[in-house]
Amino acid sequence: MKLIAYILKSLWGHRARTMLTVAGSAVALFVFCFIQSIQEGMNDLKQRQEARGSLIVFQANKFCPATSHLPQDYDQQISKFAGVKDVMPIQVFTNNCRASLDVVVFYGVPPQKLRTARDFEFLSGNWSDFETHQDAAIIGRAVAARRGIKAGDKFSIGDLSVNVAGIYQSDNPAEENYIYSHLDFLQRRQGINLVGTVTQLEVILKPGTDPLITSTAIDERFRGGPVETNTRAKGVFQANSLGDLSQLIEMSYYLGLACVGLVLSLVATTTLMSVEDRIQEHAVLRTLGFSGVKVFGLVLAESTLLSIAGGFLGVGAALITLKISSLSVGAEAVTVAFIPSLHLAWVGMLLAMVTGICAGIIPACYASRTEIVPALRHV
Amino acid sequence: MPLVSIKNLTKQYHKGGETITPLDSVSLNIEQGEFLSLMGSSGTGKSTLLNLIASIDHPDSGSIVVDGVEITTLSRSQQARWRASHLGYIFQTHNLVPVLTAYENVELPLLLLPMSRSERKKRVEVAMQAVDLLDRANHYPRQMSGGQEQRVGIARAIVKHPEIVVADEPTGDLDAETSEQILDLLKRLNRELDITMLMVTHDSAAAQIADRQFTLDHGKLIQTHNVTTAAFATSGDQT
Ligand SMILES: Nc1ncnc2c1ncn2[C@@H]1O[C@H](COP(=O)(O)OP(=O)(O)OP(=O)(O)O)[C@@H](O)[C@H]1O
Ligand SMILES: [Mg+2]
Repeated sequence: MKLIAYILKSLWGHRARTMLTVAGSAVALFVFCFIQSIQEGMNDLKQRQEARGSLIVFQANKFCPATSHLPQDYDQQISKFAGVKDVMPIQVFTNNCRASLDVVVFYGVPPQKLRTARDFEFLSGNWSDFETHQDAAIIGRAVAARRGIKAGDKFSIGDLSVNVAGIYQSDNPAEENYIYSHLDFLQRRQGINLVGTVTQLEVILKPGTDPLITSTAIDERFRGGPVETNTRAKGVFQANSLGDLSQLIEMSYYLGLACVGLVLSLVATTTLMSVEDRIQEHAVLRTLGFSGVKVFGLVLAESTLLSIAGGFLGVGAALITLKISSLSVGAEAVTVAFIPSLHLAWVGMLLAMVTGICAGIIPACYASRTEIVPALRHV
Repeated sequence: MPLVSIKNLTKQYHKGGETITPLDSVSLNIEQGEFLSLMGSSGTGKSTLLNLIASIDHPDSGSIVVDGVEITTLSRSQQARWRASHLGYIFQTHNLVPVLTAYENVELPLLLLPMSRSERKKRVEVAMQAVDLLDRANHYPRQMSGGQEQRVGIARAIVKHPEIVVADEPTGDLDAETSEQILDLLKRLNRELDITMLMVTHDSAAAQIADRQFTLDHGKLIQTHNVTTAAFATSGDQT
């Protein structure tokens, strides 16, 4: 590739055009990564082992966590079911039941149960601080980053106020968007007395247990009262809670495709313009002995470089932004994290490269097939 | 054996029922080291002949053999390869690549040949020296005068040590004084480096630096042996 200097200088020779194109494809790939990262979050949520290995028991025909009330003693009964390893009663409090970009979700749980059910790693603070203080809470890394919370802080939302005992991280990005506090603390929070009832129960199954059979058995058991239940695998429950949101997220896939299309047409247009501008130059090159294939390669390299440069900027900016902002969307107290993964970076860059190549094909054909003599006369 | 041997070369254009025949069964031999000039009024087919010898255009019939190679029947990519190593082309409008420096423009044809970086550097410097532009090596075409640009164009044509250099009105865009310098340069390169040249020109004074002069008229090539015979023949025709 002795000709790389020529390619770079050609691009640099038309700085304005090159930069506009790179900026354009960077923006499109930025959007693509943003969209794709929420898709990744969604897939992650669905594919996690625990999404299949545990069940969520909810009050039948209720949707918002604020309206689901199950007797807390259901946990005793459910834990006797075959295949059930443990049952964790959960009281949910959220500042926003509808779809939102900044939901704060409190899960009130018995601290000891949480410790066994989740494998959190503390970035600051520790379990025992959480376990020994009634009004203590541990906060997911993403919420903490978004809201600027540190261990030892007091965190209030509405009339609910907790002392931050620790910030945790989890290998499940969605978990990093929750706040865990004591169950009875949430039940007793000011003005509301929910002692004896919980929002939902998380049933952790023994390995090899069929979630469908167990959930049917649970719902069967409580049919007719006192409170009917609706039990689903955690993954299904989460997908249902996200509801329209998950459809929106799936639809965003097409928006991602549109972004790729945008890059394609942008780079193709620029490259075609640049080829049309240089009909004579390419004819001169071919008179000097450059073969059609070589000229084809030069044009293709130009379009690919443009697109890769845009991809590098766009993907890089998107990943950095996502990493810093720890964004998530949520609905009905279930959140989906925007996951800025390395895999996404590769996909983005690969896509940029493939798009660049595709965008260059037509202009490159045009440049390499033009008859030399008429092109030399061209002004 | 002549270096270039052209036999019965014909090129026609068909435009709306009308047929133009710029080259009508043209034959010509060029010996190694010769300097030929080609004149003729506008539209007679001078560039067409040059382009056929340069293998960037295709004849309707006839053959062109350069140093034993029949170039008209080569495939497009073979022709490109042939041009890369055997042909130098000097354009009327210098046609340098605007984003490359003088040095890089001259180096460009060498990038197609298997050659080490140092060998390339040496060749470029020799070529730039030959056209007396070594001090302008890092200038871009827009920073040079028309005459200087043309000298870069000439260096680019000779840098690969081609068997034959064709020049299409190399002084067509230049003023009288600069033209003279360029013609001197071409003649010097022809004599000192033994480069075979075929030059198209509209300027009869320019044509006189050639060993043999030709005129193209109605598809036919008419030869005038040397400057004196040409002058004699012309005045003879007029009387
Ligand atoms: N693509 C084409 N289609 C039709 N006719 C063509 C085409 N290219 C060239 N011609 C015709 O062929 C003839 C020879 O053209 P050519 O360019 O060789 O002339 P020339 O002698 O170099 O003229 P000039 O001195 O003006 O450069 C002209 O009459 C031109 O109109
Ligand atoms: Mg011409």
